[in-house]
Amino acid sequence: MSTRKTSLTDKQTKNGTSKYVLERCASVNEYYDIAFKVMLLGDSSVGKTCVLVRFKDGAFLGGNFIATVGIDFRNKVVDVDNLKVKLQIWDTAGQERFRSVTHAYYRDAQALLLLYDITSKPSFDNIRAWLTEIHEYAQKDVVIMLLGNKSDVAAERVVKKEDGEKLAKEYGVPFMETSAKTGLNVELAFLAIAKELKHRATQQPNDPKFQIHDYIESQKQKSGCCSLV
Amino acid sequence: MERDNHQEGVAEGVKICDPPAESNPPADTLATSLSLLGNHMFPDPVERNYGTTVNREEPVDSLLSDVSAEEPSLNAESHSNQVTKLETEETESPECQNNVATQPSDRGAQDAATDSDQGDSGEFVVTMLAKAKLEEQGLGMKGRSSPLLEAGTEEYPAFMSHRDEDVTADSWRQHRKHVFVLSEAGKPIYSRYGSEEALSSTMGVMMALVSFVQSGDNIIRSVYSEENTVVFLQKGPLVLVCVSSSRQSERQLRGELLYVYYQIISMLTQASISRIFEHKKNYDLRRLLAGSEKILDGLLNLVDSDPSFLLAAVHCLPLASSLRDSLSQILQKAITPNLVFSILIARNQLLTIVQEKTVIEDTRLEPADVHLLLNLIGASSAFQAGEIWTPICLPLFNPDCYFYAYISYLDPPECTVCLLLLSTDKEAFYSVAECKRKIEEAMVAQNSLSLIAKVQSYSVSQVGVSDLRHFMYKPFDVPDNYRQLTQFTSPEMEAPYSSEEEKMRLLDLYRYMHSRIHSTSRPLKLIYHVAERETLLAWVTSKFELYTCFSPLVTKACAITAITKLLRWIKKEEDRLFIRYPPKYSTTPNPSKSSRGGKSDQQDSTDNGFLSLL
Repeated sequence: MSTRKTSLTDKQTKNGTSKYVLERCASVNEYYDIAFKVMLLGDSSVGKTCVLVRFKDGAFLGGNFIATVGIDFRNKVVDVDNLKVKLQIWDTAGQERFRSVTHAYYRDAQALLLLYDITSKPSFDNIRAWLTEIHEYAQKDVVIMLLGNKSDVAAERVVKKEDGEKLAKEYGVPFMETSAKTGLNVELAFLAIAKELKHRATQQPNDPKFQIHDYIESQKQKSGCCSLV
Repeated sequence: MERDNHQEGVAEGVKICDPPAESNPPADTLATSLSLLGNHMFPDPVERNYGTTVNREEPVDSLLSDVSAEEPSLNAESHSNQVTKLETEETESPECQNNVATQPSDRGAQDAATDSDQGDSGEFVVTMLAKAKLEEQGLGMKGRSSPLLEAGTEEYPAFMSHRDEDVTADSWRQHRKHVFVLSEAGKPIYSRYGSEEALSSTMGVMMALVSFVQSGDNIIRSVYSEENTVVFLQKGPLVLVCVSSSRQSERQLRGELLYVYYQIISMLTQASISRIFEHKKNYDLRRLLAGSEKILDGLLNLVDSDPSFLLAAVHCLPLASSLRDSLSQILQKAITPNLVFSILIARNQLLTIVQEKTVIEDTRLEPADVHLLLNLIGASSAFQAGEIWTPICLPLFNPDCYFYAYISYLDPPECTVCLLLLSTDKEAFYSVAECKRKIEEAMVAQNSLSLIAKVQSYSVSQVGVSDLRHFMYKPFDVPDNYRQLTQFTSPEMEAPYSSEEEKMRLLDLYRYMHSRIHSTSRPLKLIYHVAERETLLAWVTSKFELYTCFSPLVTKACAITAITKLLRWIKKEEDRLFIRYPPKYSTTPNPSKSSRGGKSDQQDSTDNGFLSLL
């Protein structure tokens, strides 16, 4: 899939930042207006790759666990208010030994999806450590979202939803529980990120700020048991 | 035949390295620990049979040499420079064959020794082993009961079914080849079958054996029973153990353990492993290896099914030299600073390799490093849609530093053609990904992908020699192009070797021939071996190593004629069968043939980056 930038428009320079570059892609199936880098973070086996595959291909990688090696770079174009937004998604390996290579790419990311597994207390406990790392390596204005994955496995739940909400509130980041298996909130998470980034990139000085928290809350109500289409 | 010889009198044998002038550990306690291990490992324990043989190691790494513990004088002299390294074994000369003569008389002495005194340390070991065993039977399965296992190990999700295997079941014991990796502190790191946690006490026994023999200033190398061969390999702070009923030679098994070690090094580097264990002896290395079990599993499956590992050579896909050259040219043009290797792979076989100029001057890519890379790609094939960027160490190139590998398939969703770009720069992802786009464009322009898709491995019938069923041919480096990657060529395995069992049977025969050819006690140049259902001929010269398989009714004369024809055919097809570099090294760019010259100008600026790594 060759992506050739034929024209570069930089709408953002008037705001002083030039990192949100509007790009046009020549190839038909890869057409997009604007591109953002999103990174999936979290402990090993919390379901980062599954969430990504659910979002990208609408499928669930059941059965075998295959650990991601290093970082895995993929693209998906989504529609946000009639604008083609290309999400360039870094799927990272949760293992410690890949930390150095993931750190190197933190600062490129405009948004971070931080995942834990609701059936694994350690993965939740490590969220604080992850947030510390994020503050150390990522951009200052990076969009962070906390996701409690595997919400379909209610029987094995060890992390209460309220605990997730509390932690998210403490750090001022949006939160939701997701399930890569059922697809619950997966699309919403990425769409909310895409909307937020798109608003930031195209915002005029006196436009109202996009309220990601409110958006998520409103959409979460709507989705309830099933994911957005 | 060595094996038969071995089996007739010896129920179990332990081979131990003996340093010069050394007191021997009490053989009876060792025998007891062995029988305990036997209890764990072997379906019908032979522990009542105290005819266990303790073999002092002598330089000849051979099954023949049951030199007894009662002969320290013999060993003392031959052991002045005793080392455990594999390299040493490989360079050993066959001069010590006469040791074999001492075998029968030794055995009697050995048996007697088993009844003699029992040392204190020995008693301790036995107690410890017994304890470990009890624990395994009682609470073994998932528990963290063993004192050898530190509490608070990482969360360790049991995803893989064969990790859940019941390690007390017979089916577990029946596996043809077990491989265990543990740390010097006896902590389990990896087991091919069953969860290594459930096996922590078995691994404790293994470590006890290793350290018990070590306490006598010896090194345990192997244990033989009727059913199994147990081979030990100690590399730095890691102990690797193979329990195999495959009838492979000890040396082959140790070679396979070495691959496992290298694969671990490729993920963590030797330097970091040493550093970790220096710092904390009882570190749980699974913390760092978590998620890579698949890679080790994949490696062991490949080792069993792919003769590349046996031959220590790379199998490349047969390709018209014009097509291979054009692919090399494409790779040559898509470069970026700090890029050192560009490798194109189709169906797990090499299409072409392009190396950075300074790299090829200093060293060459070792087949084992290529095997590890191919295995990494095969084992992570679930993520074929994306672009992967990962640190990887090439242990034979440099065991202490990382390269950064960019892996991407060029033909999704089929995912047969894979591009692998290695850079020395951690931050080079975007520029390396840009190289891929250039390569992709050039390949689209030249329609390379559809040409590659048509390429097939060849059939032995193309050679046009009746009776020839299969062969493996590995040319040796000739002085002129010693920088070349060691390769071998081999046709598809066809009927009667189309089923998995039959393939394995043929490979086993090849392994047997290989072990005979490479026997350190009695290396052979030529073997004509009439097996039950086929006839094999193996031949090694200064120019090549050749293994052939004929129909069972072939005559010796026929086989020799056939081989002459085969060699002629290979010579004719050489350009297609192998990746051929120009025979002479040249620094001038020669894009049509050379895979190295073209980069010289652009890459000069990157030399520093690369050298700083070394």
